[in-house]
Amino acid sequence: MDELRAAVAIARKDIRNVSRYRFQVASSIFTPLYQGILPALLFGASFAVAGHVVGLEKTIGTQDLAGFIFLGGVMTGLVATAFWSMAMSIRNEMEAGTLEPTWLTPTSRETIVLGRALGGLFWFAFSQIAIFAIGMGLFGLRFRPEILLALPAVAIAIVAMVGVAYLLAAVVLLIKEANFFIDCTNYLFGVAIGAAFPITLLPGALQPVSYLLPATYAMDLVRQQGLGTRPLLDPALEYVALIVTTAIVFPIGLWAYRRADGRIRRLGTINQY
Amino acid sequence: MNTGYLAGDLRALRAAGLMSLRQIRRYPTNLFGTIFWPVLLPAVWVLMGQAYSGGGDPEALNAFASRAGTTGIALFVFIGYLMYMWLSALLWGPGTALRQEQIRGSLEAVFLTPVSRLVPLFGPTLTNIVWIVADLFVMGLAAWLLFGVVLPLQGVVLAFAITLVGVPAMYAMGALFGAGVLRFGEIGPAVQFTRGVLSMLCGITFPIAMLPGWAQATAVAMPPTHIVDGMRNALLRSASPGDLVPTAAALIGLAIVFGALAVVVFRWLEASARRTGMLGRY
Repeated sequence: MDELRAAVAIARKDIRNVSRYRFQVASSIFTPLYQGILPALLFGASFAVAGHVVGLEKTIGTQDLAGFIFLGGVMTGLVATAFWSMAMSIRNEMEAGTLEPTWLTPTSRETIVLGRALGGLFWFAFSQIAIFAIGMGLFGLRFRPEILLALPAVAIAIVAMVGVAYLLAAVVLLIKEANFFIDCTNYLFGVAIGAAFPITLLPGALQPVSYLLPATYAMDLVRQQGLGTRPLLDPALEYVALIVTTAIVFPIGLWAYRRADGRIRRLGTINQY
Repeated sequence: MNTGYLAGDLRALRAAGLMSLRQIRRYPTNLFGTIFWPVLLPAVWVLMGQAYSGGGDPEALNAFASRAGTTGIALFVFIGYLMYMWLSALLWGPGTALRQEQIRGSLEAVFLTPVSRLVPLFGPTLTNIVWIVADLFVMGLAAWLLFGVVLPLQGVVLAFAITLVGVPAMYAMGALFGAGVLRFGEIGPAVQFTRGVLSMLCGITFPIAMLPGWAQATAVAMPPTHIVDGMRNALLRSASPGDLVPTAAALIGLAIVFGALAVVVFRWLEASARRTGMLGRY
Protein backbone atom coordinates (compact mmCIF):
# COMPACT_ATOMS: atom_id res chain seq x y z
CA MET A 1 0.00 0.00 0.00
CA ASP A 2 2.87 2.38 0.82
CA GLU A 3 4.42 1.69 -2.58
CA LEU A 4 1.12 2.46 -4.28
CA ARG A 5 0.88 5.76 -2.40
CA ALA A 6 4.42 6.59 -3.47
CA ALA A 7 3.61 5.75 -7.11
CA VAL A 8 0.54 7.97 -7.02
CA ALA A 9 2.56 10.77 -5.41
CA ILE A 10 5.19 10.54 -8.15
CA ALA A 11 2.45 10.58 -10.80
CA ARG A 12 0.79 13.63 -9.21
CA LYS A 13 4.13 15.43 -9.07
CA ASP A 14 4.76 14.68 -12.77
CA ILE A 15 1.24 15.74 -13.76
CA ARG A 16 1.63 19.01 -11.85
CA ASN A 17 5.07 19.64 -13.36
CA VAL A 18 3.83 19.24 -16.93
CA SER A 19 0.64 21.24 -16.29
CA ARG A 20 2.80 24.24 -15.35
CA TYR A 21 4.09 24.37 -18.94
CA ARG A 22 0.92 25.10 -20.89
CA PHE A 23 2.79 25.36 -24.17
CA GLN A 24 4.14 21.85 -23.66
CA VAL A 25 0.64 20.53 -22.97
CA ALA A 26 -0.71 22.16 -26.15
CA SER A 27 2.29 20.87 -28.07
CA SER A 28 1.56 17.27 -26.97
CA ILE A 29 -1.70 17.58 -28.93
CA PHE A 30 -0.66 19.66 -31.91
CA THR A 31 2.83 18.28 -32.62
CA PRO A 32 1.55 14.78 -33.50
CA LEU A 33 -1.14 16.42 -35.62
CA TYR A 34 1.03 18.61 -37.80
CA GLN A 35 4.15 16.46 -37.80
CA GLY A 36 2.59 13.05 -38.31
CA ILE A 37 -1.14 12.76 -38.76
CA LEU A 38 -1.87 15.61 -41.20
CA PRO A 39 1.07 14.93 -43.56
CA ALA A 40 0.18 11.22 -43.54
CA LEU A 41 -3.47 11.99 -44.31
CA LEU A 42 -2.51 14.26 -47.22
CA PHE A 43 0.06 11.78 -48.50
CA GLY A 44 -2.48 8.95 -48.32
CA ALA A 45 -5.18 11.06 -49.95
CA SER A 46 -2.86 11.81 -52.87
CA PHE A 47 -3.31 8.13 -53.88
CA ALA A 48 -7.11 8.35 -53.74
CA VAL A 49 -9.16 7.59 -56.85
CA ALA A 50 -12.42 9.56 -56.82
CA GLY A 51 -12.19 9.86 -53.03
CA HIS A 52 -11.50 6.15 -52.48
CA VAL A 53 -8.13 5.03 -51.15
CA VAL A 54 -8.14 1.89 -53.26
CA GLY A 55 -4.49 1.17 -52.62
CA LEU A 56 -4.93 1.06 -48.85
CA GLU A 57 -7.89 -1.27 -49.23
CA LYS A 58 -5.74 -3.60 -51.30
CA THR A 59 -3.02 -3.53 -48.63
CA ILE A 60 -5.01 -3.88 -45.39
CA GLY A 61 -8.62 -4.46 -46.36
CA THR A 62 -10.13 -1.07 -45.55
CA GLN A 63 -10.30 2.34 -47.21
CA ASP A 64 -10.53 4.12 -43.86
CA LEU A 65 -7.35 6.20 -44.16
CA ALA A 66 -8.14 8.49 -41.21
CA GLY A 67 -8.89 5.55 -38.93
CA PHE A 68 -5.70 3.75 -39.98
CA ILE A 69 -3.55 6.81 -39.27
CA PHE A 70 -5.23 7.93 -36.03
CA LEU A 71 -5.12 4.43 -34.53
CA GLY A 72 -1.47 4.18 -35.50
CA GLY A 73 -1.07 7.44 -33.57
CA VAL A 74 -2.49 5.81 -30.44
CA MET A 75 0.20 3.14 -30.34
CA THR A 76 2.89 5.64 -31.35
CA GLY A 77 1.79 7.82 -28.43
CA LEU A 78 1.89 4.87 -26.03
CA VAL A 79 5.37 3.92 -27.20
CA ALA A 80 6.57 7.53 -26.85
CA THR A 81 5.15 7.63 -23.32
CA ALA A 82 7.16 4.55 -22.36
CA PHE A 83 10.35 5.85 -23.95
CA TRP A 84 10.24 9.51 -22.88
CA SER A 85 7.95 9.82 -19.85
CA MET A 86 8.89 6.59 -18.11
CA ALA A 87 12.48 5.80 -19.11
CA MET A 88 14.02 9.12 -20.12
CA SER A 89 12.62 10.89 -17.07
CA ILE A 90 15.36 9.14 -15.08
CA ARG A 91 17.81 11.20 -17.10
CA ASN A 92 15.86 14.36 -16.34
CA GLU A 93 16.17 13.58 -12.62
CA MET A 94 19.93 13.10 -13.14
CA GLU A 95 20.26 16.50 -14.76
CA ALA A 96 18.12 18.18 -12.13
CA GLY A 97 20.35 16.59 -9.45
CA THR A 98 17.38 14.92 -7.76
CA LEU A 99 18.03 11.28 -8.69
CA GLU A 100 20.35 10.61 -5.75
CA PRO A 101 17.91 11.95 -3.08
CA THR A 102 15.10 9.97 -4.79
CA TRP A 103 17.23 6.82 -4.66
CA LEU A 104 17.80 7.39 -0.93
CA THR A 105 14.10 7.28 -0.06
CA PRO A 106 12.70 3.98 1.25
CA THR A 107 10.51 3.70 -1.86
CA SER A 108 11.49 0.77 -4.06
CA ARG A 109 13.26 1.67 -7.30
CA GLU A 110 10.61 -0.18 -9.29
CA THR A 111 7.93 2.13 -7.93
CA ILE A 112 9.80 5.16 -9.25
CA VAL A 113 9.32 3.98 -12.84
CA LEU A 114 5.76 2.85 -12.09
CA GLY A 115 4.84 6.30 -10.75
CA ARG A 116 6.21 7.88 -13.87
CA ALA A 117 4.22 5.42 -15.93
CA LEU A 118 1.01 6.57 -14.22
CA GLY A 119 1.84 10.24 -14.78
CA GLY A 120 2.83 9.59 -18.39
CA LEU A 121 -0.34 7.60 -19.05
CA PHE A 122 -2.45 10.45 -17.71
CA TRP A 123 -0.99 12.84 -20.30
CA PHE A 124 -1.14 10.12 -22.96
CA ALA A 125 -4.89 9.69 -22.35
CA PHE A 126 -5.40 13.46 -22.25
CA SER A 127 -3.66 14.06 -25.58
CA GLN A 128 -5.34 11.07 -27.29
CA ILE A 129 -8.82 12.25 -26.25
CA ALA A 130 -8.05 15.71 -27.63
CA ILE A 131 -6.57 14.31 -30.87
CA PHE A 132 -9.55 11.99 -31.38
CA ALA A 133 -11.95 14.88 -30.77
CA ILE A 134 -10.15 16.89 -33.46
CA GLY A 135 -10.15 13.86 -35.75
CA MET A 136 -13.87 13.30 -35.32
CA GLY A 137 -14.69 16.98 -35.70
CA LEU A 138 -12.47 17.82 -38.66
CA PHE A 139 -11.47 14.62 -40.43
CA GLY A 140 -14.58 12.47 -40.21
CA LEU A 141 -12.90 9.97 -37.92
CA ARG A 142 -15.31 7.14 -37.05
CA PHE A 143 -14.81 3.69 -35.53
CA ARG A 144 -16.85 0.53 -35.38
CA PRO A 145 -18.40 -0.15 -31.95
CA GLU A 146 -16.31 -3.32 -31.82
CA ILE A 147 -13.28 -1.15 -31.06
CA LEU A 148 -14.24 -1.50 -27.40
CA LEU A 149 -13.34 -5.17 -27.69
CA ALA A 150 -9.72 -4.09 -28.29
CA LEU A 151 -9.46 -2.38 -24.90
CA PRO A 152 -8.04 -5.50 -23.19
CA ALA A 153 -5.32 -5.57 -25.87
CA VAL A 154 -4.44 -1.95 -25.11
CA ALA A 155 -4.39 -2.69 -21.36
CA ILE A 156 -2.00 -5.62 -21.87
CA ALA A 157 0.13 -3.50 -24.22
CA ILE A 158 0.44 -0.88 -21.47
CA VAL A 159 1.81 -3.54 -19.10
CA ALA A 160 4.22 -4.65 -21.82
CA MET A 161 5.37 -1.09 -22.41
CA VAL A 162 6.06 -0.63 -18.69
CA GLY A 163 8.31 -3.69 -19.02
CA VAL A 164 10.03 -2.09 -22.01
CA ALA A 165 10.36 1.12 -19.99
CA TYR A 166 12.16 -0.78 -17.20
CA LEU A 167 14.58 -2.13 -19.79
CA LEU A 168 15.17 1.34 -21.25
CA ALA A 169 15.52 2.90 -17.79
CA ALA A 170 18.29 0.36 -17.13
CA VAL A 171 20.09 1.57 -20.27
CA VAL A 172 19.58 5.22 -19.25
CA LEU A 173 21.06 4.51 -15.80
CA LEU A 174 24.12 2.96 -17.39
CA ILE A 175 24.84 5.19 -20.39
CA LYS A 176 23.48 8.41 -18.83
CA GLU A 177 23.51 10.68 -21.93
CA ALA A 178 20.71 8.74 -23.59
CA ASN A 179 18.86 11.35 -25.64
CA PHE A 180 19.98 10.08 -29.02
CA PHE A 181 19.56 6.43 -27.97
CA ILE A 182 15.98 7.01 -26.80
CA ASP A 183 15.14 9.12 -29.86
CA CYS A 184 16.38 6.46 -32.30
CA THR A 185 14.97 3.43 -30.52
CA ASN A 186 11.60 5.15 -30.02
CA TYR A 187 11.38 5.77 -33.76
CA LEU A 188 12.50 2.25 -34.67
CA PHE A 189 10.09 0.68 -32.18
CA GLY A 190 7.16 2.63 -33.66
CA VAL A 191 8.13 1.48 -37.16
CA ALA A 192 8.61 -2.14 -36.08
CA ILE A 193 5.15 -2.48 -34.51
CA GLY A 194 3.46 -1.32 -37.71
CA ALA A 195 2.10 2.00 -36.49
CA ALA A 196 2.79 3.76 -39.82
CA PHE A 197 2.37 0.86 -42.25
CA PRO A 198 1.68 -2.89 -42.02
CA ILE A 199 4.67 -4.89 -40.86
CA THR A 200 4.28 -7.13 -43.92
CA LEU A 201 5.92 -4.30 -45.89
CA LEU A 202 9.05 -4.39 -43.75
CA PRO A 203 12.10 -6.10 -45.26
CA GLY A 204 11.93 -9.84 -44.57
CA ALA A 205 14.82 -9.85 -42.11
CA LEU A 206 13.10 -7.29 -39.88
CA GLN A 207 9.67 -8.92 -39.74
CA PRO A 208 10.65 -11.54 -37.10
CA VAL A 209 11.69 -8.65 -34.82
CA SER A 210 8.20 -7.19 -35.17
CA TYR A 211 6.62 -10.49 -34.18
CA LEU A 212 8.66 -10.46 -30.95
CA LEU A 213 7.16 -7.14 -29.82
CA PRO A 214 3.90 -7.26 -27.85
CA ALA A 215 2.77 -3.88 -29.17
CA THR A 216 2.68 -5.31 -32.73
CA TYR A 217 -0.21 -7.57 -31.76
CA ALA A 218 -1.99 -4.81 -29.82
CA MET A 219 -1.69 -2.52 -32.85
CA ASP A 220 -3.15 -5.15 -35.15
CA LEU A 221 -5.99 -6.05 -32.77
CA VAL A 222 -6.97 -2.40 -32.34
CA ARG A 223 -7.14 -1.86 -36.11
CA GLN A 224 -8.99 -5.13 -36.66
CA GLN A 225 -11.67 -4.26 -34.14
CA GLY A 226 -11.90 -0.56 -34.89
CA LEU A 227 -11.66 -0.61 -38.68
CA GLY A 228 -12.12 -4.20 -39.78
CA THR A 229 -8.63 -4.51 -41.27
CA ARG A 230 -7.23 -7.85 -42.38
CA PRO A 231 -5.47 -9.43 -39.38
CA LEU A 232 -1.85 -10.55 -39.39
CA LEU A 233 -2.83 -13.77 -37.59
CA ASP A 234 -6.02 -15.22 -36.18
CA PRO A 235 -7.21 -12.72 -33.49
CA ALA A 236 -7.31 -15.40 -30.77
CA LEU A 237 -3.75 -16.34 -31.64
CA GLU A 238 -2.75 -12.66 -31.55
CA TYR A 239 -4.14 -12.37 -28.01
CA VAL A 240 -2.11 -15.42 -26.97
CA ALA A 241 1.02 -13.94 -28.60
CA LEU A 242 0.38 -10.58 -26.90
CA ILE A 243 0.08 -12.21 -23.47
CA VAL A 244 3.09 -14.49 -23.96
CA THR A 245 5.40 -11.73 -25.24
CA THR A 246 4.27 -9.44 -22.41
CA ALA A 247 4.96 -12.21 -19.90
CA ILE A 248 8.49 -12.44 -21.32
CA VAL A 249 9.27 -8.72 -21.77
CA PHE A 250 8.09 -7.53 -18.36
CA PRO A 251 10.35 -9.74 -16.18
CA ILE A 252 13.30 -9.18 -18.52
CA GLY A 253 12.84 -5.41 -18.17
CA LEU A 254 12.54 -5.64 -14.42
CA TRP A 255 15.61 -7.87 -14.17
CA ALA A 256 17.69 -5.48 -16.29
CA TYR A 257 16.54 -2.48 -14.26
CA ARG A 258 17.48 -4.18 -10.96
CA ARG A 259 20.87 -5.17 -12.36
CA ALA A 260 21.53 -1.62 -13.54
CA ASP A 261 20.47 -0.26 -10.15
CA GLY A 262 22.84 -2.67 -8.40
CA ARG A 263 25.68 -1.74 -10.73
CA ILE A 264 25.42 2.04 -10.35
CA ARG A 265 25.23 1.67 -6.56
CA ARG A 266 28.27 -0.61 -6.52
CA LEU A 267 30.30 1.69 -8.76
CA GLY A 268 29.04 4.84 -7.05
CA THR A 269 28.03 6.43 -10.33
CA ILE A 270 24.51 7.39 -9.35
CA ASN A 271 25.40 11.06 -9.03
CA GLN A 272 27.36 11.18 -12.28
CA TYR A 273 25.88 12.51 -15.49
CA MET B 1 32.08 50.39 -46.23
CA ASN B 2 35.74 50.74 -45.22
CA THR B 3 37.89 48.00 -46.86
CA GLY B 4 39.71 47.39 -43.60
CA TYR B 5 36.45 46.70 -41.78
CA LEU B 6 35.28 44.39 -44.57
CA ALA B 7 38.51 42.37 -44.41
CA GLY B 8 38.19 42.17 -40.64
CA ASP B 9 34.60 40.95 -40.92
CA LEU B 10 35.61 38.28 -43.42
CA ARG B 11 38.38 37.11 -41.07
CA ALA B 12 35.88 36.99 -38.20
CA LEU B 13 33.43 35.07 -40.39
CA ARG B 14 36.13 32.51 -41.19
CA ALA B 15 37.08 32.22 -37.52
CA ALA B 16 33.45 31.65 -36.55
CA GLY B 17 33.15 28.94 -39.22
CA LEU B 18 36.33 27.24 -37.94
CA MET B 19 34.99 27.39 -34.39
CA SER B 20 31.85 25.62 -35.56
CA LEU B 21 33.87 22.93 -37.38
CA ARG B 22 35.92 22.32 -34.25
CA GLN B 23 32.76 21.85 -32.21
CA ILE B 24 31.49 19.27 -34.72
CA ARG B 25 34.80 17.38 -34.38
CA ARG B 26 34.52 17.34 -30.58
CA TYR B 27 31.19 15.43 -30.65
CA PRO B 28 31.81 12.57 -33.11
CA THR B 29 28.82 10.51 -31.87
CA ASN B 30 26.50 13.18 -33.28
CA LEU B 31 27.70 12.12 -36.73
CA PHE B 32 25.75 8.88 -36.34
CA GLY B 33 22.56 10.94 -36.53
CA THR B 34 23.59 12.30 -39.91
CA ILE B 35 23.33 8.79 -41.29
CA PHE B 36 20.44 7.45 -39.21
CA TRP B 37 17.79 10.14 -39.76
CA PRO B 38 18.36 10.95 -43.46
CA VAL B 39 17.97 7.24 -44.22
CA LEU B 40 15.27 6.13 -41.78
CA LEU B 41 12.85 9.06 -42.02
CA PRO B 42 12.30 8.94 -45.80
CA ALA B 43 12.50 5.13 -45.91
CA VAL B 44 9.50 4.89 -43.59
CA TRP B 45 7.49 7.30 -45.76
CA VAL B 46 8.36 5.34 -48.87
CA LEU B 47 6.96 2.22 -47.18
CA MET B 48 3.88 4.22 -46.19
CA GLY B 49 3.54 5.15 -49.84
CA GLN B 50 3.66 1.46 -50.74
CA ALA B 51 0.87 0.79 -48.23
CA TYR B 52 -1.30 3.63 -49.57
CA SER B 53 -0.68 2.66 -53.19
CA GLY B 54 -1.53 -0.99 -52.59
CA GLY B 55 2.00 -2.03 -53.43
CA GLY B 56 1.94 -0.22 -56.79
CA ASP B 57 -1.73 -0.50 -57.84
CA PRO B 58 -1.85 1.23 -61.28
CA GLU B 59 -5.01 3.21 -60.43
CA ALA B 60 -3.54 4.53 -57.18
CA LEU B 61 -0.21 5.34 -58.81
CA ASN B 62 -1.93 7.22 -61.64
CA ALA B 63 -3.90 9.22 -59.08
CA PHE B 64 -0.64 10.09 -57.32
CA ALA B 65 1.02 11.01 -60.62
CA SER B 66 -1.85 13.34 -61.52
CA ARG B 67 -1.14 15.29 -58.32
CA ALA B 68 2.63 14.92 -57.98
CA GLY B 69 3.65 14.73 -61.63
CA THR B 70 5.52 11.46 -61.12
CA THR B 71 5.02 7.86 -60.10
CA GLY B 72 8.48 7.71 -58.52
CA ILE B 73 7.31 7.70 -54.89
CA ALA B 74 10.71 6.80 -53.42
CA LEU B 75 12.63 9.63 -55.05
CA PHE B 76 9.73 12.05 -54.51
CA VAL B 77 9.90 11.36 -50.76
CA PHE B 78 13.70 11.32 -50.53
CA ILE B 79 13.94 14.75 -52.21
CA GLY B 80 11.29 16.09 -49.84
CA TYR B 81 13.18 14.76 -46.85
CA LEU B 82 16.41 16.28 -48.10
CA MET B 83 14.66 19.61 -47.67
CA TYR B 84 13.39 18.52 -44.24
CA MET B 85 16.95 17.79 -43.14
CA TRP B 86 18.07 21.12 -44.52
CA LEU B 87 15.26 22.92 -42.72
CA SER B 88 16.23 21.15 -39.50
CA ALA B 89 19.88 22.14 -39.88
CA LEU B 90 18.88 25.67 -40.83
CA LEU B 91 16.41 26.31 -38.03
CA TRP B 92 18.57 24.65 -35.39
CA GLY B 93 21.64 26.35 -36.93
CA PRO B 94 21.28 30.01 -37.96
CA GLY B 95 17.93 29.98 -36.18
CA THR B 96 19.45 29.14 -32.84
CA ALA B 97 23.05 30.38 -33.22
CA LEU B 98 22.31 33.54 -31.28
CA ARG B 99 20.41 31.55 -28.66
CA GLN B 100 23.43 29.27 -28.16
CA GLU B 101 25.61 32.32 -27.57
CA GLN B 102 22.97 33.68 -25.19
CA ILE B 103 22.87 30.45 -23.15
CA ARG B 104 26.67 30.27 -23.00
CA GLY B 105 26.73 33.84 -21.78
CA SER B 106 28.90 34.97 -24.68
CA LEU B 107 26.36 36.91 -26.74
CA GLU B 108 27.00 40.22 -24.97
CA ALA B 109 30.77 39.77 -25.35
CA VAL B 110 30.38 39.00 -29.08
CA PHE B 111 28.16 42.04 -29.60
CA LEU B 112 30.81 44.23 -27.94
CA THR B 113 33.34 43.37 -30.65
CA PRO B 114 33.60 45.75 -33.63
CA VAL B 115 32.57 43.10 -36.20
CA SER B 116 29.37 43.31 -38.20
CA ARG B 117 26.28 41.79 -36.60
CA LEU B 118 26.06 39.46 -39.61
CA VAL B 119 29.12 37.59 -38.30
CA PRO B 120 27.52 36.14 -35.15
CA LEU B 121 24.35 35.53 -37.13
CA PHE B 122 25.90 33.61 -40.03
CA GLY B 123 29.50 32.75 -39.04
CA PRO B 124 28.91 29.81 -36.68
CA THR B 125 26.51 28.25 -39.16
CA LEU B 126 28.64 28.39 -42.31
CA THR B 127 29.36 24.70 -41.73
CA ASN B 128 25.69 23.86 -42.25
CA ILE B 129 26.40 23.58 -45.94
CA VAL B 130 28.66 20.63 -45.06
CA TRP B 131 25.66 18.82 -43.56
CA ILE B 132 23.51 19.52 -46.60
CA VAL B 133 26.09 18.07 -48.97
CA ALA B 134 26.56 15.09 -46.63
CA ASP B 135 22.78 14.53 -46.53
CA LEU B 136 22.61 14.76 -50.32
CA PHE B 137 25.25 12.04 -50.59
CA VAL B 138 23.84 9.77 -47.85
CA MET B 139 20.25 10.03 -49.11
CA GLY B 140 21.24 9.43 -52.72
CA LEU B 141 23.12 6.33 -51.63
CA ALA B 142 20.21 5.14 -49.45
CA ALA B 143 17.65 5.64 -52.25
CA TRP B 144 19.87 3.52 -54.50
CA LEU B 145 20.72 0.76 -52.00
CA LEU B 146 17.28 0.45 -50.36
CA PHE B 147 14.92 1.17 -53.23
CA GLY B 148 17.06 0.70 -56.35
CA VAL B 149 16.64 4.32 -57.46
CA VAL B 150 19.54 5.33 -59.69
CA LEU B 151 19.92 9.09 -59.93
CA PRO B 152 20.52 10.55 -63.42
CA LEU B 153 23.86 12.38 -63.61
CA GLN B 154 22.43 15.52 -65.26
CA GLY B 155 19.64 15.57 -62.67
CA VAL B 156 22.17 15.34 -59.81
CA VAL B 157 24.21 18.21 -61.23
CA LEU B 158 21.12 20.38 -61.73
CA ALA B 159 19.76 19.48 -58.28
CA PHE B 160 23.09 20.52 -56.78
CA ALA B 161 22.98 23.77 -58.78
CA ILE B 162 19.46 24.49 -57.50
CA THR B 163 20.69 23.80 -53.97
CA LEU B 164 23.49 26.33 -54.38
CA VAL B 165 21.15 28.95 -55.86
CA GLY B 166 18.77 28.33 -52.95
CA VAL B 167 21.42 28.75 -50.22
CA PRO B 168 21.12 32.58 -49.89
CA ALA B 169 17.32 32.43 -49.72
CA MET B 170 17.40 29.67 -47.13
CA TYR B 171 20.00 31.47 -45.01
CA ALA B 172 18.03 34.70 -45.23
CA MET B 173 14.93 32.84 -44.04
CA GLY B 174 16.91 31.27 -41.19
CA ALA B 175 18.35 34.65 -40.22
CA LEU B 176 14.88 36.20 -40.16
CA PHE B 177 13.77 33.44 -37.82
CA GLY B 178 16.95 33.68 -35.71
CA ALA B 179 16.49 37.40 -35.15
CA GLY B 180 13.46 36.47 -33.07
CA VAL B 181 15.85 35.22 -30.34
CA LEU B 182 16.70 38.80 -29.51
CA ARG B 183 13.06 39.39 -28.71
CA PHE B 184 11.77 36.08 -27.35
CA GLY B 185 14.78 34.22 -25.91
CA GLU B 186 13.79 30.54 -25.81
CA ILE B 187 12.77 29.52 -29.33
CA GLY B 188 13.05 25.70 -29.18
CA PRO B 189 9.26 25.16 -29.42
CA ALA B 190 9.09 27.78 -32.19
CA VAL B 191 11.71 25.84 -34.16
CA GLN B 192 9.58 22.70 -33.94
CA PHE B 193 6.47 24.58 -34.94
CA THR B 194 8.09 26.46 -37.83
CA ARG B 195 9.70 23.31 -39.17
CA GLY B 196 6.37 21.50 -38.97
CA VAL B 197 4.51 24.29 -40.77
CA LEU B 198 7.14 24.65 -43.48
CA SER B 199 7.17 20.88 -43.95
CA MET B 200 3.42 20.96 -44.47
CA LEU B 201 3.50 23.95 -46.81
CA CYS B 202 6.44 23.00 -48.98
CA GLY B 203 5.36 19.52 -50.01
CA ILE B 204 7.98 17.48 -48.15
CA THR B 205 5.99 14.24 -48.16
CA PHE B 206 3.00 14.99 -50.36
CA PRO B 207 2.28 17.06 -53.47
CA ILE B 208 1.27 20.64 -52.62
CA ALA B 209 -1.69 20.16 -54.97
CA MET B 210 -3.28 18.46 -51.94
CA LEU B 211 -3.28 21.73 -49.98
CA PRO B 212 -6.14 24.24 -50.04
CA GLY B 213 -5.73 27.27 -52.34
CA TRP B 214 -4.64 29.74 -49.65
CA ALA B 215 -1.96 27.33 -48.39
CA GLN B 216 -0.66 26.80 -51.94
CA ALA B 217 -0.42 30.58 -52.39
CA THR B 218 1.56 30.85 -49.13
CA ALA B 219 3.80 27.97 -50.21
CA VAL B 220 4.82 29.88 -53.35
CA ALA B 221 6.30 32.63 -51.14
CA MET B 222 8.57 30.13 -49.33
CA PRO B 223 12.06 29.31 -50.69
CA PRO B 224 11.92 25.58 -49.75
CA THR B 225 8.91 25.06 -52.05
CA HIS B 226 10.91 26.23 -55.08
CA ILE B 227 14.01 24.27 -54.15
CA VAL B 228 12.06 21.03 -53.66
CA ASP B 229 10.13 21.62 -56.87
CA GLY B 230 13.33 22.40 -58.79
CA MET B 231 15.06 19.29 -57.49
CA ARG B 232 12.07 17.11 -58.31
CA ASN B 233 11.93 18.60 -61.79
CA ALA B 234 15.63 17.89 -62.28
CA LEU B 235 15.67 14.36 -60.86
CA LEU B 236 12.19 13.04 -61.63
CA ARG B 237 11.06 14.88 -64.73
CA SER B 238 14.38 15.21 -66.60
CA ALA B 239 14.19 19.00 -66.69
CA SER B 240 16.83 20.82 -68.72
CA PRO B 241 18.85 23.76 -67.33
CA GLY B 242 16.55 26.12 -69.25
CA ASP B 243 13.47 24.63 -67.54
CA LEU B 244 14.93 25.52 -64.16
CA VAL B 245 15.63 29.18 -64.91
CA PRO B 246 12.24 30.37 -63.54
CA THR B 247 12.89 28.41 -60.30
CA ALA B 248 16.35 29.98 -59.97
CA ALA B 249 14.91 33.45 -60.63
CA ALA B 250 12.22 32.95 -57.99
CA LEU B 251 14.87 31.83 -55.47
CA ILE B 252 17.07 34.86 -56.16
CA GLY B 253 14.05 37.14 -55.77
CA LEU B 254 13.07 35.50 -52.49
CA ALA B 255 16.68 35.75 -51.24
CA ILE B 256 16.58 39.52 -51.80
CA VAL B 257 13.18 39.91 -50.11
CA PHE B 258 13.97 37.66 -47.13
CA GLY B 259 17.50 39.08 -46.81
CA ALA B 260 16.26 42.67 -46.70
CA LEU B 261 13.52 41.73 -44.26
CA ALA B 262 16.02 39.88 -42.04
CA VAL B 263 18.38 42.88 -41.90
CA VAL B 264 15.55 45.31 -41.06
CA VAL B 265 14.00 43.03 -38.43
CA PHE B 266 17.39 42.17 -36.94
CA ARG B 267 18.38 45.85 -36.58
CA TRP B 268 15.04 46.74 -35.10
CA LEU B 269 15.09 43.86 -32.59
CA GLU B 270 18.74 44.47 -31.72
CA ALA B 271 17.98 48.12 -30.90
CA SER B 272 15.03 46.97 -28.82
CA ALA B 273 17.15 44.32 -27.03
CA ARG B 274 19.81 46.95 -26.20
CA ARG B 275 17.15 49.25 -24.76
CA THR B 276 15.47 46.55 -22.67
CA GLY B 277 18.69 44.72 -21.70
CA MET B 278 17.35 41.50 -23.25
CA LEU B 279 20.76 40.50 -24.69
CA GLY B 280 22.08 38.98 -21.49
CA ARG B 281 18.77 37.62 -20.23
CA TYR B 282 17.46 34.17 -20.93
